[in-house]
Order: sequence, then C-alpha cells, then structure tokens
Amino acid sequence: MHGEYKMPGGKLVVIDLEARDGHLAHVQLSGDFFLEPDQALHAINRAPDGLSVDLGENALADTVRGALPTGTQMYGISPEAVAMAVRRALLAEAR
Amino acid sequence: MRTSWNDHDWQLIHDAPQAPVLHMALDEALTDAVAGGRRPPTLRIWEWAAPAVVIGRFQSLRNEVDSDAAQRHGIEVVRRISGGGAMFIEPGNTITYSLYAPVSLVEGLTFQESYALMDAWVLEALGQLGIRAWYQPLNDITSDAGKIGGAAQTRRGGAVLHHVTMAYDIDAAKMLQVLRIGREKLSDKGTQSAAKRVDPLRSQTGLPREAVIARMVDTFRRLHGLADDRLHDDELAHAQKLVRDKFGTAPWLADVP
Repeated sequence: MHGEYKMPGGKLVVIDLEARDGHLAHVQLSGDFFLEPDQALHAINRAPDGLSVDLGENALADTVRGALPTGTQMYGISPEAVAMAVRRALLAEAR
Repeated sequence: MRTSWNDHDWQLIHDAPQAPVLHMALDEALTDAVAGGRRPPTLRIWEWAAPAVVIGRFQSLRNEVDSDAAQRHGIEVVRRISGGGAMFIEPGNTITYSLYAPVSLVEGLTFQESYALMDAWVLEALGQLGIRAWYQPLNDITSDAGKIGGAAQTRRGGAVLHHVTMAYDIDAAKMLQVLRIGREKLSDKGTQSAAKRVDPLRSQTGLPREAVIARMVDTFRRLHGLADDRLHDDELAHAQKLVRDKFGTAPWLADVP
C-alpha cells in the first residue's frame, strides 16, 4: 500500500506499508524532506510496526514523535505528516 | 559562538570532471575533513564526467527513478548524503557546487535562514548577470522565469554541508523519462508541468556556462575571500575508499528501496 502527502509549506512525505491481520507492518518512509540524524528514518519506520490499522492520526503522530532519537531535527516533514501519509496508504487500499 | 564568512580562510576546489559516485563520496570526505579541522572551509565547484540521477538521502529508489530508462540512456543512479529531491544531471547542463563550513557559520539560525545565508553570494552573482533570483522556501532558488536550482544541507559533526545544483541547460523530455515525478508533489505548485517548472540559466543569461561559473567565483572571492586550492591526495584516497565501502554499493543505493 502506498500513500503520499505533500505537507503544506513542506516536502513530499511517502509511506509504503503492509497490513497484516489488521496490523501495520513493513512501514517504509521516503520523500524529499530533511531529517537529522539520518538514522531517525529507521526509527520512524519501526515505530508503527504492529499497531492497529484503525489507530487514529493523532495517536499515530504521537507514536512517531515518541520514537525519534533525542535531538532529531525535521525540515519539511513532521510526525503529523507521516501519520497523514500512513492514513492515505490505508485509505488507498480500502477504495 | 557564531562566526561570519570573513572569519574563515575560504578555499576553492575546481577540479577536472569526476564520476558521479565519486562526487557523492567527496562530499562526505570533505565535510568530515572540515569538521575534523583538517581542511579550512571550502567551496567546491563540480564538473561531471558522466550523466547521473542523484537522489536524496531519504528518497525511494524505485519510486523516484525509472531504472530501465536510466540504464537505456547510460545514466548512473547515485544516492547523496543530504535530503531533498532527485536531480537529473548531464555534463555541461548543470552548475553544481558544495560549501563545507563549520556549523558556527549557521549557529542559531533557522533552517530557512541558513539556506538563504549560504546562497546569498550566488543570488548576488546572478543579479549581476541580470537575473533577479530569490530563495523560495524551503530549498529552491527561483526567478520570475521559473525554478533555477535546488539546495540541500546536512550536518556532520561540527560541519555543515550545503550543496546546490542549478540547471544551466536541460533536456526536459529525457529527464521526465528517467525521473518519476508524481502529481502529489506538484499539488501545491499550481498547474505547471514538471518540465515547465525549471527555466535554466542558459536561456536566462545567454552566457556560456563557464562565464556564469566565473562570475560566481569572482563574487564569492570579492565578498568572502577565496584562495585557490585543489583536492589533496589523502582526501581523494579517502573518497575512493568511501566509494568502495559505501556510495558504490547496492545497500547504500537501495537503503530506501
């Protein structure tokens, strides 16, 4: 499943993921945003693993925020934008 | 403490054309050399030995690049260490440069301010060539006629890397065959097509590429001081090792598959 979200005033935030028995799996974030340190990407990918596909956007964003390494800097991307891209990936599949 | 441009002893590297993958490695090697105090702050002007697609640190290889088309056109695909978007490069068609500076130069600035600071000299040089260019946040250099280029920064240790590719000329049809440019990305940029978004320096200045670069270098030298340097043997060796161990490997290229 694939979802894209162009954050207003920001960059393109892309999520590819799978849903298995109602749970998120193999979440892969990509896009033309800026993120430091770069290992934060892998922390964000792991964060939603196993969560319910029914989890709301706010809870998703909180989960992503909580997984960021200390001192992470985001430019053109935010936990909320990641959550929006996840929701869009799931909705795209539902259609 | 924050430093200013003139607190630093700026060096210029403008070497012979190099392979795209070596350019990726040189950016890491030289940023780390400045962070480690082994090299003074440096401006490097790139010359390309081969066509390339350069994707950003966090871009998906398969989402961004049509690998079959790239192979068909003999275009090397490489991943850089900074974020930002994909660039389509043909030798002689772009003006690419890197600044390697201590983070003290941008200390306390927002990201937006630090991008604008690092390219103020370029906007001045373009102004002298008759192009009224400005920064379009987050990271574009643009003019009334269209987008000229894009910048990206990353910080490593005590150094900041700021690099920019500006379009001098562009084969937009070939670019669109190789890059997958999605509709969502263009959603807040109006109805312009991807090809029309870029208006290159050749049409805007009517000058040879070398003349544009010469004006840029002169402007930097006048504003901030600039001594002629070259890539040192140990720096080249370090970069070549990084090509073997990292930038030339499949795991790095497909780190975001």
